[in-house]
Amino acid sequence: MTRVLDAEPHDSGTVDTAPNRADQGYDTIFSYRELARLDEALTMSSRETGLRFTLYIGDLGPRTRIRAEELHARGGDPVDSVLLAVSPGQRVIEVVTGASAARRLPDRACALAVLSMTNSFAAGDLVGGIVNGLRQLSDQAGHPHSARRH
Amino acid sequence: MSVVETLLVFVVAPLAVYVFFWAMTYLPGGRKRPGIRYKPGQPWEHEPVWYEPQPENAPTHAAGEGDTQAVGSSLYGETAAIGSGHGSGHGASLDGHGSSAVGSSVIAGTRGATAVSAGTPVPSAGGPLGGARGTW
Repeated sequence: MTRVLDAEPHDSGTVDTAPNRADQGYDTIFSYRELARLDEALTMSSRETGLRFTLYIGDLGPRTRIRAEELHARGGDPVDSVLLAVSPGQRVIEVVTGASAARRLPDRACALAVLSMTNSFAAGDLVGGIVNGLRQLSDQAGHPHSARRH
Repeated sequence: MSVVETLLVFVVAPLAVYVFFWAMTYLPGGRKRPGIRYKPGQPWEHEPVWYEPQPENAPTHAAGEGDTQAVGSSLYGETAAIGSGHGSGHGASLDGHGSSAVGSSVIAGTRGATAVSAGTPVPSAGGPLGGARGTW
């Protein structure tokens, strides 16, 4: 009679919905508050500039630049996207801009943003550095309309 | 007011307030902080994560035509194209399985890690790449 109650717990998430489930712990690296800051910074800078800012945090292997460029090519819309690849274990940050994004974000501007980010990283503030770096990059890139006018 | 009362009011009560706030601040376990505290130079032993911006038009539309009809899969309808491998251009993920995740911009790290190491290097399309590099 009690067999009905012995049902195994099962996961009803499909391949598509499983990554979206809220009961998985996404805050293993960053707290939810920090994740919200990162999310807002990425989303707002992408919407303001029309570029696509993505952020990779993890190991970049021995050849960090090549790995970062591979990752950049792997993401969607590589021409218009900007990848911030941070490897905290190696203390390296690589900023990769696509061909179209590089016209609006020259390497000097990226270097300046990287400098401010490394300052924060050296103080142990990963999220604050990333948010400020994204702000600098999006300020430099400006709106897509004003870029098109010239 | 006797001496004992004076001591209680003017010494013991303020001390109790101070001790209370000191304990709330410094005693361990008083404040649970999820997430890690990064210190420069310590090894980074987490799975790689890739955060991407939220797609512009994702989470607000109600379930309708073109959405999956799975009951209880989500509060919001999900575009049926996600599952068939040709998701919208916004949600590119590491394993090519469009994760235009409804309302979520976090990609699970384990899947990303395997996919990154599995693929072959992709040549950069559309011109030279720019950027900068920094160490700290």
